[in-house]
Amino acid sequence: MVKLEYIKKQYPRTRRVHGNWYLSSYQYKFNVKRINQCLEHLRKGELVGLKCRSCNTVSFPPRLICPKCLKMPDQWVHLRETATVATFSGTYAKESGDTEPRPYPVVAIRQDGADTSWLANLPEGYDFFKVYVGMPLKIKWAEDKKGDFSDIEYYEPIEDPSIEMNKKEETEN
Amino acid sequence: MEKVGIVGYYQVKPETDIQMSRPEMIFYAARGALNYAGLKRDDLTTVISATNDYYDGKTISNCFTVDAGGAYLKDESKVEMDGAHAVNYGLMRCLSGHHKLALVWGASQPSTFYYSCIRVLENDPTFDRPINLLNDHTAAALGMRAYMNKFGVSVEDIAKVGVKNHKNAAKNSLAWNEAQLPEITVVDVIYSEMLSDPVTKLMHAMPCDGATALILAPEELAKKIIDDPVWITGVGLCQETYYLGDRDLSISISMEKSAQKAYKMAGIEDPKKEIDVVELFEHSAYEELILAEALGLCEKGKGASLSSEINGEIPINPSGGAIGAFTPCATGVTRLVEAVKQIRGEAKGYQVKDANRAIAHGQIGFCAQNNIVFILEGGKK
Repeated sequence: MVKLEYIKKQYPRTRRVHGNWYLSSYQYKFNVKRINQCLEHLRKGELVGLKCRSCNTVSFPPRLICPKCLKMPDQWVHLRETATVATFSGTYAKESGDTEPRPYPVVAIRQDGADTSWLANLPEGYDFFKVYVGMPLKIKWAEDKKGDFSDIEYYEPIEDPSIEMNKKEETEN
Repeated sequence: MEKVGIVGYYQVKPETDIQMSRPEMIFYAARGALNYAGLKRDDLTTVISATNDYYDGKTISNCFTVDAGGAYLKDESKVEMDGAHAVNYGLMRCLSGHHKLALVWGASQPSTFYYSCIRVLENDPTFDRPINLLNDHTAAALGMRAYMNKFGVSVEDIAKVGVKNHKNAAKNSLAWNEAQLPEITVVDVIYSEMLSDPVTKLMHAMPCDGATALILAPEELAKKIIDDPVWITGVGLCQETYYLGDRDLSISISMEKSAQKAYKMAGIEDPKKEIDVVELFEHSAYEELILAEALGLCEKGKGASLSSEINGEIPINPSGGAIGAFTPCATGVTRLVEAVKQIRGEAKGYQVKDANRAIAHGQIGFCAQNNIVFILEGGKK
């Protein structure tokens, strides 16, 4: 009986062969002329979003097409430097030198004045367990700006007045 | 509208690492469905497949499976989405009058590639892919957090969905072995392996190998083939934008719209009273709650309080759902087949009493970007 199991292990019903898929040979085009207007502003330390003239939706990062109206938004509007956490998660990953995987925050951030959110960074090593939905943030600009989205080095958490208010209410009650 | 009936089906038992090649697996599904209906291959007029080029590691993956899928010298076409969309394609072909019998199958083998890595290729290549943060786990986690935060739903409420589906899967002999957990508790689900906070392994649909096929026939023909075929009386589908940041992840507008279309077509006014059983494709446990809410079975944010066990008020996923067996590309077809089994009284061990009208659902994309809803009816009432 044992011998049979051994044979079964040695000769499974299927064999595997490796395949190749040269994904790095693919290239993707995107419209630079349009996004450059936003990138120029980023170089100067300003934030702009694209506003659709039909539905007034402001997108940041700017979207090429407004899905609701099927139009190309063309109105650039200035946005504030503050933002809030729209939703978040944490993935567990090992970096070089780590023995245990540690949580790494994945945060969807909504810029104040915009209607859409995007995935951006918190300060490196920021404790994932301190993140909450609605957490106020402020942009920390990179020191030498290159004119791309990496100019927003990270979003820095700022003091949340609503927490103090909640605490006061609790003590009063 | 002329009705189209489901006259045959077959499910290949899902396994972690199936000892079959892809064409072999598809052959068993196609042959099984033909045997169920008692048909010959020559009777088929069209074959629709649901596969994905990335999952198969090969472009135009359907050209490779023509022989196995029964499409030799037939009018064959492919849907690169969930199998439920392939059923819709087959349905449209039958309704056009040009085709009589349509074989629809979906199949994939995630044991031959890294599923989460392939899902990354679904991302926008110029913006989301370089950030390297978005895959099916983190997308599910973002959606779950948004849902929990908006409606004040606890992790325990969502874990209960995982518990229910794993327990139901234990009763279903055609669920995935690893998902058949009759003794599971909420604590087990919450403390299982963390995929992406707060989504854990036991509240997420983990991919496994498998194939499912079904046969569609127009009304007159269907009545000749088998007794009491199950009829498709309504269908609705809807797309949302790709960008997660543009959507409200705590609700599903696309599901709401597709459900409304399907209800209107089937003449359903109060889904909670008129529907007997629901088969949802939930990629993650929280999606089942959001989708049930969007179907109008309960108020928004109250999905957790719905009694959805097999003997409950409105049974959702008595077969175990996608958490019970998630075979990419075939899951949508499986949901239809499970609904058919419930209506025909063939669901041994997890039969819902007197089920006559069912919802089957398929989806594709991060956080259920695209939803498709089918209303299936038997002839009992």
